[in-house]
Amino acid sequence: MTAPSTAAAPGLRARLQGRSELGVAALLAVIAIVIAVDTANIRHTAINAGVMGPQVVPTIIAIGLGLCAIALAISVLRGGHAEAEDGEDIDLSQKAHWPTVFGLGGLILVFALSMDFLGFVIGSALLFYGSALLLGSRRFIWALVIGILLAVSTFYGFVLGLGINLPAGLLTGIL
Amino acid sequence: MDNLTLLMEGFSNALTLQNLLFALIGVLLGTAVGVLPGIGPAMTVALLLPLTYALDVTGSLIMFAGIYYGGMYGGSTTSILLNTPGESSSVVTALEGNKMAKAGRGAQALATAAIGSFVAGTIATGALVFVAPFVVAIAIGLGAPSYFAMMVFAFVAVSTVLGSSRIRGLASLFIGLTIGLVGLDATTGQPRLTFGQPLLSGGIDVVVIAVALFAVGEALWIAAHLRHGTPATIPVGVPWMRKDDWKRSWKPWLRGTVIGFPFGAIPAGGAEIPTFLSYVTEKKLSKHPEQFGHGAIEGVAGPEAANNASAAGTLVPLLTLGLPTTATAAVMIAAFNQYGIHPGPLLFQTEPVLVWTLIASLFIGNTLLLALNLPLAPLWAKLLRIPRPYLYAGILFFATLGAYAAGMQTFNIGILLLLGALGYMARRFGFPVLPIIVGAILGPEMERQLRRALQISAGDPAALVSEPVAVVVYTVIVLFLIGPPLVKALRRRFGRGGPTDGPLAGGGTDDTDGYGAEVDETVEIDAFGTQTSDGSARVIRVVRSKVGRRGR
Repeated sequence: MTAPSTAAAPGLRARLQGRSELGVAALLAVIAIVIAVDTANIRHTAINAGVMGPQVVPTIIAIGLGLCAIALAISVLRGGHAEAEDGEDIDLSQKAHWPTVFGLGGLILVFALSMDFLGFVIGSALLFYGSALLLGSRRFIWALVIGILLAVSTFYGFVLGLGINLPAGLLTGIL
Repeated sequence: MDNLTLLMEGFSNALTLQNLLFALIGVLLGTAVGVLPGIGPAMTVALLLPLTYALDVTGSLIMFAGIYYGGMYGGSTTSILLNTPGESSSVVTALEGNKMAKAGRGAQALATAAIGSFVAGTIATGALVFVAPFVVAIAIGLGAPSYFAMMVFAFVAVSTVLGSSRIRGLASLFIGLTIGLVGLDATTGQPRLTFGQPLLSGGIDVVVIAVALFAVGEALWIAAHLRHGTPATIPVGVPWMRKDDWKRSWKPWLRGTVIGFPFGAIPAGGAEIPTFLSYVTEKKLSKHPEQFGHGAIEGVAGPEAANNASAAGTLVPLLTLGLPTTATAAVMIAAFNQYGIHPGPLLFQTEPVLVWTLIASLFIGNTLLLALNLPLAPLWAKLLRIPRPYLYAGILFFATLGAYAAGMQTFNIGILLLLGALGYMARRFGFPVLPIIVGAILGPEMERQLRRALQISAGDPAALVSEPVAVVVYTVIVLFLIGPPLVKALRRRFGRGGPTDGPLAGGGTDDTDGYGAEVDETVEIDAFGTQTSDGSARVIRVVRSKVGRRGR
């Protein structure tokens, strides 16, 4: 294999990254097992005799995923590694900034959980505001104004333009 | 000609005020998102899928097609002015285009890209008009075994041919198929992977899957590695070309079209290979090969034409066979499905008005793009300076909205977050996103075809190879799978690996798990860019380092 190109950058970090890919292989294996267990629990029904059962495709997928997990683990152990995706706004030389990622994930979760109470407009305006701040915006007033404008115009766009009612929540009767 | 009559009818439908407006919105949005970093046409169509709940089918599909074409134009602007292409298909454009812009010829680069895209898009859409009914005529006689074989072919193609790592491509595919599995089995009604959750019994909404993988995954991934400060862009005026530029551009446009369309039309499409082939061809045929690497206009004209021609070509398998080969095409299939329409050979019979109006709108969209993009180019260039926090906060805003609007369930936002994390992991660990979405969308359909094939034969698997087309397709799949490793093994045995062995060492090979080794060997294989989502690093780097070397 072309291992030399990876060996060019040895060190603890590179080794840790290699190990994190073993975690991915393990995840694939876990998914394969989940599918296998789920498939084993599908009841056989006489009504559908003669038709390909609902177990066939999941079984194939579970086997395929399991094989992929093994192949990936072997390839990682032999020194193979993937390169993360690059892009215009991506600087791969810095390490992943986990507070931002988990902060954004948390915001989305809070948005989902508070939807019925706060309603779409307040919730999504706060989601936008919080995300913009987490992503480094320091124009505290502007970001909030944009968030509110975006949320209100989307709300009315959906209700008036598409005929889809989004929950108004706290603002019921006002909007 | 029957086709032409139908096409004329399509034009009369597409030229209504409402449909023209949809086309205009589509191409404007498409260009804008093509220009905007981090957003590609696939993500945009995904984010706009909720509109399918309210808009009529023709209007929204015209708009989505406009976004698809517009995204190509916009992508070239980014490549030329920023040197970091937003879409994997405009990687090659950046090679010469950015050099031209740096040399003060940005206006000419944009002009040849825009006009070349128009020429290629129009010719290739014309080819679509004639090729599609021909494919339909063949496909209509095929049975379930052949369909099943072609779907397997599409799966193998998107996961092993286009990616740089076969293992990761296949793993992506199986994960996609797993997502498609969730819900009640269509025939027997048995729940699969629902974990007793009634909200999962209807399956995971395609809107949620697409938005999670393309929008949330991408936004989170960028958020983790957000570059500080906006990258410098090159200011540019209104595009124009001198007589000399026209002279050097028109042949590459036509050649690019000829190269691009067939590659898009075979179900193993994608725009990376044809754009790269076009670049190599132009370099070989050019009277000024020494200018390549320093801003040769042919190197922009040819690949841009190839890019747009292959985009039109992609619509052939999409409309006639229901097989998507690019991320945007996969999301467009999802849009069709939202209306209960399943693209395939029957589409031209059951929905002739829709299909021909859509095709006519492609011609209109192309013309609109040319008319808009030449004068608006300086404005588009300004979009590149949008503050990133607002851009990505906006993406998350619309992503959560789209997921919620799919069934008005906050539960969907939870799924969105889960699959968004999957999208993040895919980007982090080099798993292509395209096989995931294709697997999730086509998986249930594949199972249906498999069932039908086996039902006819009462369960005898020999039925799968009972049609000649199926046999041919399986043979091609086997060649695809064993071909590259075999060639590699033979090369290793019998001496050196090929003409361009080695120059990659400095460029950073990405992947060393077998298939990645291909990258070192021939120039063409480098161009097997991952269509992961919107912008794929590996290929960019590989192609660049190699071409950079050659230019010197």
